[in-house]
Amino acid sequence: MAGLLLLLAAALSACTNPQTTFSPKSDTAQSIQTLYLLVIVMASIVMVGVFGVLGFALFRFRDRPGRVASQTHGNTKLEIIWTLLPVAILVIIGAPALIAVAGSAKAPDEDALHINVVGHQWWFEVQYPGMGPEDPNNPGERLPLITANEVHLPIGRQIYVTLESVDVIHSFWIPQLIGKTDMIPGTVNELQTFTPQEVGAFYGQCAEFCGTAHAQMRFRAVVESLGDFNEWAEALQTAPADPASELAAAGQTLFLAKGCVACHTIYGMPGAAGKLGPDLTLLGDRRTIGAGIVDNTDENLQQWIRDLQQMKPGTLHMPSFGTLPVENPQHMSDAEIRAVSAFLRGMTLE
Amino acid sequence: MAAYTELLKRPVSPTGVWSWLTTVDHKRIGLLYGVTALTMFFIGGIEAVIMRLQLASSDQTLVSPEVYNQLFTMHGTTMIFMVIMPMGAAFFNYLIPLMIGARDVAFPRLNAFSFWMFLFGTLLMHASFLTMSAPAMGWFAYTPLTSLEFSPTSGVDYWVLGLQVLGIASMAAAFNFVVTIINLRAPGMTLMRMPVFAWMTLIISFLLIFAFPVITIALTLLQFDRWVGTNFYNTAAGADPLLWQHLFWVFGHPEVYILILPAMGIVSDVLPTFTRKPLFGYPAVVFAGVTIAFMGFGVWSHHMFTTGMGAWANGVFSFATMLIALPTGIKVFNWLGTLWGGAIQFNTPLLFSIGFITMFTLGGLSGVMHAIVPVDTQQQDTYFIVAHFHYVLFGGSLFGLMAGIYYWFPKMTGRMLNEGLGKLNFWLMLIGFNMTFFPMHIVGVLGMPRRIYTYGADQGWDNMNMFMTIGSFVIVVSFLVFMVNVIRSLRSGEPAGDNPWGAATLEWSISSPPPHYNFIEIPTITSRYPLWEKDHSVGAAQAHGHDDDSHAVHMPDPSYWPLVLSAGITMLAGGLLIWKWHQILGFTIISVFGLLALYATYRWAFEPVNEPNHEEPHQ
Ligand code: HEC
Ligand SMILES: [Cu+2]
Ligand SMILES: [Cu+2]
Repeated sequence: MAGLLLLLAAALSACTNPQTTFSPKSDTAQSIQTLYLLVIVMASIVMVGVFGVLGFALFRFRDRPGRVASQTHGNTKLEIIWTLLPVAILVIIGAPALIAVAGSAKAPDEDALHINVVGHQWWFEVQYPGMGPEDPNNPGERLPLITANEVHLPIGRQIYVTLESVDVIHSFWIPQLIGKTDMIPGTVNELQTFTPQEVGAFYGQCAEFCGTAHAQMRFRAVVESLGDFNEWAEALQTAPADPASELAAAGQTLFLAKGCVACHTIYGMPGAAGKLGPDLTLLGDRRTIGAGIVDNTDENLQQWIRDLQQMKPGTLHMPSFGTLPVENPQHMSDAEIRAVSAFLRGMTLE
Repeated sequence: MAAYTELLKRPVSPTGVWSWLTTVDHKRIGLLYGVTALTMFFIGGIEAVIMRLQLASSDQTLVSPEVYNQLFTMHGTTMIFMVIMPMGAAFFNYLIPLMIGARDVAFPRLNAFSFWMFLFGTLLMHASFLTMSAPAMGWFAYTPLTSLEFSPTSGVDYWVLGLQVLGIASMAAAFNFVVTIINLRAPGMTLMRMPVFAWMTLIISFLLIFAFPVITIALTLLQFDRWVGTNFYNTAAGADPLLWQHLFWVFGHPEVYILILPAMGIVSDVLPTFTRKPLFGYPAVVFAGVTIAFMGFGVWSHHMFTTGMGAWANGVFSFATMLIALPTGIKVFNWLGTLWGGAIQFNTPLLFSIGFITMFTLGGLSGVMHAIVPVDTQQQDTYFIVAHFHYVLFGGSLFGLMAGIYYWFPKMTGRMLNEGLGKLNFWLMLIGFNMTFFPMHIVGVLGMPRRIYTYGADQGWDNMNMFMTIGSFVIVVSFLVFMVNVIRSLRSGEPAGDNPWGAATLEWSISSPPPHYNFIEIPTITSRYPLWEKDHSVGAAQAHGHDDDSHAVHMPDPSYWPLVLSAGITMLAGGLLIWKWHQILGFTIISVFGLLALYATYRWAFEPVNEPNHEEPHQ
């Protein structure tokens, strides 16, 4: 029954449950799934066996007039049988499992795409080493390409992810693409390599309890064609075009004036090189804001700037600008918030 | 000399509040444990229901994230350390001397001390609610989230000190029961004639003795970090955050068996009674218990498969964890063997035992699933895990303990619980339990992480969560039925008689409730099921035991000092908490209560007996 229900869930899940572990879209997730199904089938067999014998015994040996219990004390042969039978079952699931564990230690391919993801309370910083702009201090070397809360992956290429944390332990997990691995401060962990096999935006979420807003530490993995991926990577290191509207231009000024730049970087925008918060380059192109918690709409972004504590209680560092006292120079009126939102959302690929 | 003994007189009142505060009677202590544990179960249950309400649908704001995080931390800590462990302790205390034919435990005052430490530890930890700073880091308290930097409020402090106090309670009890079981068995009660519950108690006591020091050390290091700024877990100073995880789970996994073995013992004793035949494969069941306990120390890292330990460690711990399924399976199969060929009477204790076997089997099977490392990378920290450990702890431990309550309540109170209400209780609990926890497997598979206070509507988890919340209310109703049953029976339950179930073990040979000296004459045992022997010689020896005879039996005198000593020690912890907020006040409290504890220890050591001329108990 358990097995059947799980299979049923799997069938239902792909479209209505974007975070399902049962709709694999990478080679590694696929092989985990195969093992998972094997284990479920074996467990179901054991369950049916035990429950069957139990149900039969309860019925057949129920007390009724004249029934006398047989005074058996045990049976050595039976004890041996029911030790060996489970051994057989464990071999069936254990052997492939241990082989898979051994295989997980394989070094990444030469041409695997290396991504380094850094956990922060409560958002993900995403770095593509060696893919960013040239290092001004180190000509010939390239800096990492940096973004946040969205991991772009080219389809069909092996992905090799290293994981770090700057504060507490987090865990990096994209159920449809790869199982989780913890992000541990002071250590660089490696995620098992995987190759995405389908284009789409997949849900990811922090899986290790990491404090107040742990529930709202999410992200998206965007799998796209190599062309799209390259275009995106290129755009991330191109200075943004001038704001398209007056409103957005006003927003750009405010972005500097209100001190957003102290914490946020926008590539190519003078003065915007803060590191405390997520990189906001090309924010208009992102699917979500607030570390994957709401869709990237004008309304949501304004709400975020106005009162993010209400959207994501506990958020560190960033003030809820709309709720600051009016005399505070950082306070922002609704009009100002609208302008900043227009500016940020105006930064898109086109 | 006379004045001296007068001054140091031990308490004498046989009834009233003082008699309970100073009692050293294992049966009274057992009841105190049981009542406290049930009260805590009520509190832990309320915490659970609030969480279920918050999660009933997406984006709810019934409680803030801080409060939710406190709720799951305290729910876990409470249910493990303040409900299931002490419920087990309630049974050890009440039953072990009766089962092995002793008049009390080996160290009666130490036994009282264990209980008071447990009670005060519980109160200390819950005092955090009064200062609005309950711990909020999860019951396994991973560093560095527990450091002062990331948890600046005193929640972690309460938790650390509360657990230290509870740990002392467990250690004292464990030593007491090892000595009791090894030394105080009646003549002829060889180890292999003991009821399985006594065996499991012995095993658990050893588990406690070996596992608790590990958590004590882990907690002490954390205490140092938080109180005096050492760097045992400070990652910024180069500490490895996994140190805590290893220490915690080296304790934590044996702890799992500490929680489940009492239930296994209970079921192994209930089944023979209601099938009218001896336990199938008694030596195998005992040996499996010993093996589980032994192997339980070698599998801790299966809680850490996703920490990047590497393929070797993952492989070894995966293998070891799968192996532990074997002795567990042996137990289940032997219970089936016991049912086979029996004359099964479907009384409430048997129903709960069947509930235990089935639910525990499900929990065991999902446990084997997360032993498979790649699968675990999808299950770890999701609701699938939450489902798993509720199947073993609620479906397993708690169902087993409920079987025990229905089974021994008549012995403890002299009155039967109502069978009709008992069956209603069982079915509601079984249905509510499965409604609440089975769907957790599915939402886990659908990617729902544990310890989240909210989720988005886009995740598609709403319907199932609503269903689970409704299920949790069915559980609540089942417990109301239980409470009604208990209260009704205490008032007007059918008198139980000595042996209402026709059971075979020693505790059923004496009156219900037993006289405070238990056995008027220590029985001589010749088999595993003494009361099923033809001549019933054991029962006969007790038949003429009236309370009038009690003057012939010298029992340990009550004492104030266990209570005073445990209050003193607990207030040392309280002083440490206050020290953080006000050093001088804290220091004063530590000094005063430190001296009090010292004084109590001294008085305890030199306590005279009330009737020094009385003859020694005949053994
Ligand atoms: C003191 C530092 C700080 C300042 C000043 C600050 N932010 Fe932030 N910001 C953060 C942090 C930290 C986060 C990540 C919060 C989280 O998701 O937990 C963040 C997140 C954001 C996000 C969401 C990014 C994403 O990918 O989800 C936006 C948009 C944003 N900030 C805009 C602004 C704007 C506009 C301003 C100025 C009006 C501003 N921030 C000022 C620290 C700051
Ligand atoms: Cu987290
Ligand atoms: Cu474990």
